[in-house]
Amino acid sequence: MIAAERAAGAARTLTKRSAWAWVVTASAALSALPFLFRLDGRSHGDWLQFLGRFHPTLLHLPIGLIVLVPVLEVAGAKRAALREAADFVLRAALVLALPTFALGYMLAYGAGDAGATVTRHMWGAVVLCIGLMLCIVVRPAWAAREQAFVYPAMLGATLLALLWTGHHGGSITHGSGYLTQYAPRPLRMLIPGAAAEDVGGNSFYALHIHPALDAKCASCHGSGSAKAGLRLDTYDDVMKGGKDGPVVVAGKPEASMLLARVTLAPGDPHFMPAEGRTPLTSDEVAWIRAWIRAGASATATSVPGVKIARDEVEPPPQPVGDYSALVPEIEQMQHGLGAKLVPVSAKASDGLILRTVDKSSSFGDADLASFKKFAPYIVEAELGRTAVTDASFDTLKTFTHLRALHLEGTAVTGSGLGKLSSLTQLRYINLSGTKVTAQSVEALKKMTQLRHVYLFNTAAEGEGTTARSTP
Amino acid sequence: MKQHPLCTDCEREVDVNSLPIPAGLKREWSAVETRRQFLGRSGKVLGWAALASLFGETALRGRAVGADVKSPVSSPGRNNLGLPHFAPKAKRAIYLFMSGGPPQIDLLDYKPNLASQYDKDIPDSVRGNQQLTGMTSGQSRFPIAPSHWGFKQYGQTGTWVSDLLPYTAKMVDDLTIVKSTNTDAINHEPAIMFINTGNMNPGKPCLGSWLAYGLGSMNDNLPTFVVLQTKTNPKENNQPVSSRLWSSGFLSSEYAGVGLRSGGDPVLYLADPDGIDREVRRKMLDAVEEINRQTQADVGDPETNARIAQYEMAFRMQASVPELTDLSKEPQSTWDLYGPDAKQAGTFAYNCLLARRMAERGVRFTQIYKRGWDVHGDVVGVLPTLCAETDRASYALVTDLKRRGLLDDTLVVWAGEFGRTVYSQGGLSKENYGRDHHPRCFTTWMVGGGVRPGLTYGETDDYSYNVVKDPVHVRNFNATILACLGIDHNRLTYDYQGLDQRLTGPQPATVIQGLLA
Repeated sequence: MIAAERAAGAARTLTKRSAWAWVVTASAALSALPFLFRLDGRSHGDWLQFLGRFHPTLLHLPIGLIVLVPVLEVAGAKRAALREAADFVLRAALVLALPTFALGYMLAYGAGDAGATVTRHMWGAVVLCIGLMLCIVVRPAWAAREQAFVYPAMLGATLLALLWTGHHGGSITHGSGYLTQYAPRPLRMLIPGAAAEDVGGNSFYALHIHPALDAKCASCHGSGSAKAGLRLDTYDDVMKGGKDGPVVVAGKPEASMLLARVTLAPGDPHFMPAEGRTPLTSDEVAWIRAWIRAGASATATSVPGVKIARDEVEPPPQPVGDYSALVPEIEQMQHGLGAKLVPVSAKASDGLILRTVDKSSSFGDADLASFKKFAPYIVEAELGRTAVTDASFDTLKTFTHLRALHLEGTAVTGSGLGKLSSLTQLRYINLSGTKVTAQSVEALKKMTQLRHVYLFNTAAEGEGTTARSTP
Repeated sequence: MKQHPLCTDCEREVDVNSLPIPAGLKREWSAVETRRQFLGRSGKVLGWAALASLFGETALRGRAVGADVKSPVSSPGRNNLGLPHFAPKAKRAIYLFMSGGPPQIDLLDYKPNLASQYDKDIPDSVRGNQQLTGMTSGQSRFPIAPSHWGFKQYGQTGTWVSDLLPYTAKMVDDLTIVKSTNTDAINHEPAIMFINTGNMNPGKPCLGSWLAYGLGSMNDNLPTFVVLQTKTNPKENNQPVSSRLWSSGFLSSEYAGVGLRSGGDPVLYLADPDGIDREVRRKMLDAVEEINRQTQADVGDPETNARIAQYEMAFRMQASVPELTDLSKEPQSTWDLYGPDAKQAGTFAYNCLLARRMAERGVRFTQIYKRGWDVHGDVVGVLPTLCAETDRASYALVTDLKRRGLLDDTLVVWAGEFGRTVYSQGGLSKENYGRDHHPRCFTTWMVGGGVRPGLTYGETDDYSYNVVKDPVHVRNFNATILACLGIDHNRLTYDYQGLDQRLTGPQPATVIQGLLA
């Protein structure tokens, strides 16, 4: 009897040892794959892509099985049969996960996908497969109650790897903002990088080219996924081009692949944006063509041959940061001062309006200074007919996101207006009915970001700046 | 023992079940009564919750006495709806309502081909199956009446404008002219209700009430929604205009338009009588409010809260309205712009000036009614008067807003309830003609925050009878106004009578993107 038991024990040790050997070998093979076939952004062969496109079909199967495992394990505490099934499901998951991984790799390698998200997704899948194998190996000891924690910990880690991999996979398909776009504000606060990247400035590129490329191209050629090694989400990347060389030849639209690919017939296999995504509008194509012809500059503010109506030149407002943590303080502030901070809209990133209309006659520089804390969130300051003076400019220059400033009917003389020149977002300033003079508003002329300047009923009224139009 | 919750006669409690009435009635009574009790109870709970939120501040801090009293009920329409839905281009709006139906053919919808068709009948194919009013349905002929006035092109846009509108002509490059506005109703009452409330029957909230409800107040001392009526000119054919048009319908009456009178005191009994000072008034209001709060607690009618808020608003308006209507500090440039009419209370020009002053003071929505556009006859006699009354003032308002930097975030709308026919009502002569109501097309304009300047949108056929391009139904017109103010018309709703009510009604409405800047 004892000999038989010992023999069985030895056999188990033996199978265990060989199983470990298998795991180590397979893990090494999986980990080596990305180094053997680098995801370099080049596409390789139609067959790989054809097969690879079954990846999205297959992948949900192993996910379902993996998620089923902990359910069976827990339920198995009551019905032993379920725990027996868990072992089978775990093995089945691995059997399916490996081909899924292979197909996914074919998809990325074949289509020439590259980029941080693709890489993360791929390594996530490697970890997930290894995790599954380890789970299978350590499970018998747990089932035999020899080891209490290793398997549950392993399974937990595998599930986390599943979550991470799945998330990045989703980001590749739907774009990185898909999940966070409509997340409630407190949730979004926890996610780094959920706020959109901002390209500031008044240049033609920033106002027209970047927004178009960002909206129509960056989901495949962006920070998440850079197909063909090409990223179009920053100016430098646009000019750098992809694995097949540069896509923009400054001054030569006909030689620029960027333009060529978006102007093909929509049915053409090389037409971009691919796969039924929204194509560029004819305006956008015209802008890109004119922009390339004019030298594809990052800074030029106008492009010959393109006349865009004044209103369209208005750049999109820069989103403000998250102020939700300050809301109680904002409310307290309002009760104390009677001046309000009102959200521009339901979207917090549209910022706040400082509204003083109920307190206007008594609202002075000191009161304004007490709003310094909320400076980066205030996009509009309604200080018309308040008691603020030129001293307010010291506070106002800290309102970095200020777009509109109402000072009409105040005692400001305009000395120190130049302090506001650092407010790159400032588009509107109303100095009607103030004591400004032709000299003191000279500073405004240097502030090219301004679109609307109002000097009605002032000594400077004749300056012809009542409604400055853009260059 | 069930008793009606409002029954105060406690000595003779009536038990319905013991009354000699049919059993079915008793059953019905008990069902009704239970529901009443439930509603009464929940009303009380809600009422207290509402009161608590309204009075939160006072309850903690007590109430000061003085001109700048800041009571928390003072935030009529405090906005908890999370609106605007998106960043608005316009924070406020001014609506110049041309009641009666201005004749588009004589003002902005230029039809050069009509001159050659004088006194010819309008082709049946154009008229189609359009219903006629009782005023012309008996006519044997529908003779075409070309406009009596010449048209010229103005501005960089080369917009054609009638000689009747020399001032409007000066601002065409700023205007968004909609030639294809159309409505469902052919008579004043349904049409004016329809464009104001989205429904031909009274009882729905008007545009201004929806805005007050949705966006809330921008200031504590003036109403969110003000209505200014222009004094009528007895020479003109004035259609009745009354508070049903600025009613809040099923919304709390807090959101109804506050009418300022066109003559005498803008608000009646606003001044304290001799011997009553601010403090006495305050004490009286506090006492009244206490009673109202008890009523609210007992009955749970939310209208009691509205009443409390309105008393408080009236108290603050005692200080703010005299300041608003005191035009003595207006610079000479104002009078140069608006003209001498503006010095006379109750004129359209005066109201336009007040509207500008209210825009500066944080009134969300001002609607000015100008009656008299119902020119069934004597177009040649009456229309010049109407235009003289409104043309310069409209131009002055837009220009004034523009030079003061207010037009960037104020939307100004000019519209009537429908248009007028190309054919003459009554006798047509070279000297005179009349025009009947016409719902299929009329011309409106907008200017300011959110709309595209220098645009003429939509086209009508050669007879200004049918829309041939880019129709703008009143529903879509209203949806577009809401869009300028940051509101998605499909999401500003109020659950009433089992329907998510909205300004544009249950039928689908779309924002006219082509009108937006």
